[in-house]
Amino acid sequence: MYKYSKFDKQIIKNRTIQFEEQVERRLKGRLTEDEFKPLRLMNGLYLQLHAYMLRVAIPYGELSHKQLSKLADISDKYDKGYGHFTTRQNIQFNWPKLTDVPKILSELASVEMHAIQTSGNCIRNISSDHLAGISKEEIEDPRPWCEIIRKWSTFHPEFSFLPRKFKIAVTGCKKDRAAIMVHDIGLRLKKKGREIGFEVYVGGGQGRSPFIGKKINNFLSKKFLLNYLEAILKTYNQLGRRDNIYKARIKILVNELGEKKFKDLVNENFKKLSKKNMLIMNDQIKKNFSFFKLPMKKSLSSKIPKINDYEYKKWISQNIVKHKVNGYSAVLISLKSYGKPPGDASSHQMRELAKISKKYSFGEIRVTHEQNLVLPHIKNARLYNLWLELKKIGLSTANINLLTDTICCPGLDYCALATARSIPISQKISEHFKKFSKQIEIGKIKIKISGCINACGHHHVGNIGILGLDKNGEESYQITLGGSADENATIGQIVGPSFSENNLIGALEKILGTYLKKRYSKNEDFLATFRRIGIDEFKKELYDNNTEK
Amino acid sequence: MNLKKNFMIIIQKNKIKNNLYHKTDNLETNKQKILVTSNFWIEKKKELLKKKFNLGIELNSDDSINIIEKDLNSFSLIQFNFISLKDGRPFTYARKLRELYKFKKEIRASGNVIPDQYIFLLRCGFDSVEIEDKKKEIWLKLLKMDKGLYYQP
Repeated sequence: MYKYSKFDKQIIKNRTIQFEEQVERRLKGRLTEDEFKPLRLMNGLYLQLHAYMLRVAIPYGELSHKQLSKLADISDKYDKGYGHFTTRQNIQFNWPKLTDVPKILSELASVEMHAIQTSGNCIRNISSDHLAGISKEEIEDPRPWCEIIRKWSTFHPEFSFLPRKFKIAVTGCKKDRAAIMVHDIGLRLKKKGREIGFEVYVGGGQGRSPFIGKKINNFLSKKFLLNYLEAILKTYNQLGRRDNIYKARIKILVNELGEKKFKDLVNENFKKLSKKNMLIMNDQIKKNFSFFKLPMKKSLSSKIPKINDYEYKKWISQNIVKHKVNGYSAVLISLKSYGKPPGDASSHQMRELAKISKKYSFGEIRVTHEQNLVLPHIKNARLYNLWLELKKIGLSTANINLLTDTICCPGLDYCALATARSIPISQKISEHFKKFSKQIEIGKIKIKISGCINACGHHHVGNIGILGLDKNGEESYQITLGGSADENATIGQIVGPSFSENNLIGALEKILGTYLKKRYSKNEDFLATFRRIGIDEFKKELYDNNTEK
Repeated sequence: MNLKKNFMIIIQKNKIKNNLYHKTDNLETNKQKILVTSNFWIEKKKELLKKKFNLGIELNSDDSINIIEKDLNSFSLIQFNFISLKDGRPFTYARKLRELYKFKKEIRASGNVIPDQYIFLLRCGFDSVEIEDKKKEIWLKLLKMDKGLYYQP
C-alpha cells in the first residue's frame, strides 16, 4: 500500500488548517455561502437535504485496517454509526456538523486520509480496478499510476475551477472492472511490443446525456502521461461549456467538436505545451511501484476447505476470486445484505472487519465501484474460518454478481438532487429476489438504480437500469435494458413507459421471464441474450399484457 | 455611501500598492498607463498602437485570448476579469501566455476572485490581483499560510 511521505503529511496537515480557517471565516460571515461553496466542495463537504454530507477519499479504493478502523470511530463520534461506500470507491458520512468537520479532517489526516477533491469542479478521486495487482491477466498494476495521477491532480493550480467535475479511472486489464469507458478520462495499460503504455479514452460519462468514451490515443508512452493529461485538461478548461451546467462535462465538448477535432486540439496542446519537468522518469516509476508489492513472500499449495455447509458453499461459489499467487484467494464482501441499503456498513462492521483484515489479509481492504469490499489476499485454507467470522458480523451475503448485488445511489432519502427514492426500491428488489436458487437460475446480471437523471446509481450501464422520476408529484420508475460498464460498454435503451413503485417488481419479473425463456442455455447471461435478441422481444412481453401504460 | 468600502487596491505578491492604470475609452487622455476593454481594443486597435501608452487590456474570463495573441508585445498589462470565481479559464490563459508566448509583462486578476485562489493565481503566472482595500489582511494572511509545498513542478 502507498505510505505517505513527510511531504504528503505536511500537505494534508496544511489543508486541514486552511479549511479550519475557511470554516471560521464562514461562521463569522466573512465568506458568503456562494464563496464558501466551492471551497467546502473541494473538501468533500456537501449540503444535502437534511444535513451536511462529508465524502472521504479512498484513493483507488485501497484502505488499511487502521484507516477502516478510524472510519468506524469517526462514524460513531461524529455521525450516526454508519458510513456509505460509493461508486467512486469513497465513503460518505451523512450527518456531520459543520463545526466538527475540521476535527474529522484532522482525525483522517492522522491515518493518512483526507476529503480533498471528492467533490467540486475539479479532478476527483482516481478510481481503479478492485483486483489491481492480484489479477492474473493484468498487463501491469494500475495503482502506482493512480498514485502518480493523484498527486499531480491534487490542488492543481490550473485545474481546480474546471467547467464541471472531472473523473479519471485506470485499469491494467483488458477486462474492465473500473468502468473506464464511462469516465471523463479512461486509461487502460496495454503492451506494444515490449513497451507498456496507455490507451486513452475521453468523454465517457453518464448523467442526463450518457456517452461511451472515445479512444483518442491508441498508445501513449508512460513518460508522457502527465503532459498528455494536461493537454486534455487545458483543452477542456478553455473550451468546455460554462453556460449550462448540464452541458459542461467534457463529454459534451468532445461530442460537439467531434472526436477528430478534439483529438487535434489535444495533440496541439501536447506538442506546444508539454514540459520536460512533467516527464515521468524511470526512477519515479520504480519508486511508485515499490509501494505496491505483494505482501506474501511465496505461493502455497493451500486448498479451499470443503465443508458440508450450504451457506458456506454458496459463499465460496459466489464471493471468491482466484488470486494470481497460488494458494491465495481474493474475497468479495457484499454490502448488499437483503433488505439493507446497498453500500452501507455500520461502525461495528467496519471495526470488526478491520480486525479481520489484519488477521487474514495483511491488513488490506479494498472498496469496489460496485459498492462492495474486498479482502485481497486470503490463504485458501483459512477461508472457512474467515467465513465464520464474517458471518458473525453480517458480512457473508453470497450474492456477488447476482441480481441482488445492485448498485444504488442514496436517492431521495438523503440527496438534494434526487427526484425519487432509490434505496427502498433496491431493498424491495433484494427482498423479493432473495431466494438463492432463483438468483442462481437467473445468473450473472447487473441491476443499477438511480434516484435521478444525474445517474449516480449508474442506471445507464446496468444490464437492467432503473431510473427514479417525479411524474406530477408521484415517483415513477423508468427501465433501461442492455447497459454495460465493462470492456464492451454500452448505454442501456429505454424499454418504454415507466412503472409505479407497486408495478416495478412485476415488470422486472416479466423482463427476467423473457430472458429465461429466450436464452440459449444457462451459459448465456442476461446481457448476451439481450444483445442477441434485442429490446423488442422484451417490450412485447412487458407491455402486451397491460402491466401499465 | 462609504467610499472607502469599495476602495480598490492592487496586491502583488506580499506588497500592497495603488492601481496606476486608468480605465478609459478616451484616446486623448493625458494618462500614461491606461487600461482598455477588449471591445475598445478591437475597435481602436490601430489608434491605440500609434499612441505611446503603457497599454493594459482587460479581458473578461469568457473572452477568447485570440484577440490579443498577435499583439502581445503591445501590452504592459493583461488583466483577466473573472466574471465568476468558478470560471477558471484565466488560469489556463495565464499559463499559456507565460509558457507558450513567453509573455514577460504583468498579468493581473480582477473581478470575482477570492483570497483562497491567490496561490493558484500566482502559480499560474499571475503577478497581481485587484482587491478591495478592506480585504487585504485576509489575502496577506492566506499568502503567509502557504508553505510552498506543491505536487506539481
